[in-house]
Amino acid sequence: MDVLNGLLHGFAVALQPTNLFWCFVGCFLGTVVGILPGLGPAATIALLLPLTFKMDPAGGIIMLAGIYYGAKYGGSTTSILLNIPGESSSVVTCIDGHAMAKNGRAGPALGIAAIASFVAGTFGILALTLLAPPVASFALQFSSPEYFALMCLGLALVVLLSGPSLIKGLMSLFLGLWLTSIGTDLFSAQARFVFGQSELLGGMDFVVVAIGVFAIAEVLASIDGGEKARMLPVPKGVRNLLPSWEELKACRFAFINGSVTGFIIGVLPGAGSAISSFIAYGIEKAFSKHPEKFGHGVPEGVAAPEGANNSDSGGALVPLLTLGIPGGGTTAIMLSALVLWGVRPGPLLMTESPDVFWGLVASMYIGNVVLLILNLPMVPVFAQILRMPVHVLFPVILGISLVGAYGVGGRLFDVGLLVGFGLLGYTMVKLKYPTAPLILGFVLGDAMERALRQSLTMSQGDLGILVRGWISATMLACAVLILLLPLLGRFNKARVQAIAEGG
Amino acid sequence: MTTEFRQRRGRGRVTKDILRNGDVLSAAALAALGVYVFAEAWSWPYYNEDGPGPGFFPVWYGVVMVVLSLALIAMTIAKLPRAETPDWQGISRALITWAAFAISAALMGWLGFLVSFALLTFFMITYVFRQPAVTAGVAAVIAAAAFYLVFPFALSVPLPTGVFGF
Amino acid sequence: MIIRLSPALAALALVAASAFPAHAQFKPTKQIEFVVHGGPGSGNDVFARQLSTIIDQEKLAPVRVQVVNKPGGGATTAANYMASKKGDPYTIACFTNIWLLNPLVQKAAVNRLQDMSPIARLVVEPALVVVLADSPFKTLAQFIDAAKANPGKLKWSGGSILSRENTVRQLLMQKTGARWQFISFPSGGERLAALLGGHVEMMIVDPSEAVEQIRGGKFRAIAQVSEHRLPGFPDVPTIKEAGFDIPNVPQMRGIVGAPGMSPEAVAYYEDLFFKVSQTPAWKKFLTDSHLDGEFVRSAQLKPFLINFEGTLREILKGTGAKVVR
Repeated sequence: MDVLNGLLHGFAVALQPTNLFWCFVGCFLGTVVGILPGLGPAATIALLLPLTFKMDPAGGIIMLAGIYYGAKYGGSTTSILLNIPGESSSVVTCIDGHAMAKNGRAGPALGIAAIASFVAGTFGILALTLLAPPVASFALQFSSPEYFALMCLGLALVVLLSGPSLIKGLMSLFLGLWLTSIGTDLFSAQARFVFGQSELLGGMDFVVVAIGVFAIAEVLASIDGGEKARMLPVPKGVRNLLPSWEELKACRFAFINGSVTGFIIGVLPGAGSAISSFIAYGIEKAFSKHPEKFGHGVPEGVAAPEGANNSDSGGALVPLLTLGIPGGGTTAIMLSALVLWGVRPGPLLMTESPDVFWGLVASMYIGNVVLLILNLPMVPVFAQILRMPVHVLFPVILGISLVGAYGVGGRLFDVGLLVGFGLLGYTMVKLKYPTAPLILGFVLGDAMERALRQSLTMSQGDLGILVRGWISATMLACAVLILLLPLLGRFNKARVQAIAEGG
Repeated sequence: MTTEFRQRRGRGRVTKDILRNGDVLSAAALAALGVYVFAEAWSWPYYNEDGPGPGFFPVWYGVVMVVLSLALIAMTIAKLPRAETPDWQGISRALITWAAFAISAALMGWLGFLVSFALLTFFMITYVFRQPAVTAGVAAVIAAAAFYLVFPFALSVPLPTGVFGF
Repeated sequence: MIIRLSPALAALALVAASAFPAHAQFKPTKQIEFVVHGGPGSGNDVFARQLSTIIDQEKLAPVRVQVVNKPGGGATTAANYMASKKGDPYTIACFTNIWLLNPLVQKAAVNRLQDMSPIARLVVEPALVVVLADSPFKTLAQFIDAAKANPGKLKWSGGSILSRENTVRQLLMQKTGARWQFISFPSGGERLAALLGGHVEMMIVDPSEAVEQIRGGKFRAIAQVSEHRLPGFPDVPTIKEAGFDIPNVPQMRGIVGAPGMSPEAVAYYEDLFFKVSQTPAWKKFLTDSHLDGEFVRSAQLKPFLINFEGTLREILKGTGAKVVR
């Protein structure tokens, strides 16, 4: 069946009233799950799984997929409004999204997040429709050295996330590397840095660390600011609640960047949507005409990572649907759902169950439209949250953070960790250490160590394996280039100064 | 310019400034952490017949942490800025909030989420934000009720429960 | 400092949380918590959800059996959670080998499987040794000969060092003197991708994960890790039949209750899961996933677990792992 026929068949399936209904239900639930920390898409799908046994597989997968990509749409809401990253993929959105909210541009930030999600999400599905088989074989070329290079590329972004003091940024990054290695080592079952606490054997969850270091620290720093801790400005009028034409124009490149970066990284089973959003943000800043404004609320800083993590959903379905390989927790449970319904996910899925494959693909085009329609009208409503007086808003942020941390595994231990990380984050803010590199190190450090050790195990200690493939060599070269950027910048500044003085 | 400062302030002042400088202190703490990381990692296998061991990676970043921290200390001392008097009032307000947050988290296993969250809200509104107790009481009850309605009730997201059963 | 402080606080809270009084008598009147040690979508999670679904559909219990994920640290997080529910008749868990293995190699993993209340063993899982369909290795012996000729050049993908994949490799290496590399990947998807991409030569995998790849012409099974040949793979020899006489390493799954669960509650759950094991839906699940469903009752399970722990300890010691208990 060729693509066009397949897609037409898919729309015939997806446009059946019942399937349309399930698509809507999935998207709606996904949005809710994404907005509220403490609820993850994987857990929600697991919870709803028994209800889907009576549905036909196409309807079931359409609904579950709606939860999956809908959650990423909703994920930006708490990041932008409250600086609480609800999902790992929306951490980067906090940086410029919350800064925009503090500048009174919460509505536009939410709007841009929704539009970027729509554009990039649709691009991801388009790429899934047209390119799935060749892209899947590209993904399989990625071995450990390539993953190592990808993680290095990601970690090199520290240069762009550090602010004025690179050395403090690096120290924050290394603190993140250390935190992520707490727990049981996969290769040797050695417990590392657990202080005899069996709760730490499983390592710390990313959400707990990020909420502590971002949201709690932000609240404490604002309270410290005292007089300055007034209500966040929410200008009146619809005009100020939706993005302006200039803001959208500024995001042109970010939409493309997020779409492409998110899809490519999403296809790789060993990467994750957090990585794609970090890299898209890094690319955006590296190529920006005004990189110094990043972190102070630029719309591109929201559009790029939000786009990336939605395009990522389309990418992640490529190995799942063409090879039967799940890339992460949520796709893993979708895979097992297919098995439980009696569909056989694997290399033959596309030909043996065209209803499921093409029905799902077509439903995702519809789902993205549904999500845009669901989300845009909510923007003004959500922006009103910031009208709450600060003395109510701050306790509510702390409360949502507590729920989010507890929701990770239902352990009070995580709540304790959250308290600790809140203090750490506040201390870092006070001493002007940037916190984003810590999260970057925490997200990528573990994967980087693993990829390096896998590579060296494969090559029996020969470091040459890291640069032998063209993919890894190219990415490592890019990483080095990025690391050299500050030197270039200094050189450039000196040059400009010299010219100015000379003239 | 910095040498000028130093001459004006005299030796004792400089030492005091160094010891009170946040960058120096935090870098020293991170250097200590780096030493700890290195020492722990050193006791684990660095490389074995199957490939790099659990100590392989931490040994290296432990070393880098120490080097970076020492570099930051050196850089700070080289251009030692005049010690700023921190806004202790603001800091103590933040730390008291944090302590309240920590206590409410610790009480959560005993009192449950709703009660300890309501107490935290009440404390923050009255003590930190200096609002009347009535406002605080109403806000605390409404906030806790809203959390109950959204999470356990509407979405069946479990919250920690305590001796009262909620 | 900060990091040290917070566990102390949380530990305090945990002590407070566990001070619930034990129920004097048992009758299921509220939702039962069914703890699994993997995240949603993991093998163990799918298995437990299948059980819970059957109980729900066949109306075998008057209350809901709710799967609760407690992932982290192998099975440590889940085991800790079980220990914190001491005496609670509403908390059961789905265990696998890792529940026995963790405490053997990790000092901090203090909650052992034998301390919980054994209810039943439900299945023993076989596994397949697979290569790419166009691989030059037609038999396990060919692979081992190639590994002898090029020590350390061939590679397997698998999970952690404690996984069955690595145990089988260690036993085979000891037996034959050949050497090849073991590449650990945290997720099953990455392990499959490593073989599909040709970055490793071989892997040991659950039949349910491999069967579609075999049907799709990507993989070929050359041996099976099982006592006897699986009905689905009558032409694939077991490792022993392939000429390598190493002890079989069974991967089991079963049910335990919280420590100190009353005998009445244990009897109730034993009966409940026995009923499950007799349903057609369960038998179909076993056939579809190529599992061996021998039901072992509570009374035999405890001695079996103690015995099996001894076997695992010996195997681990033989492979050079550091055993702490």
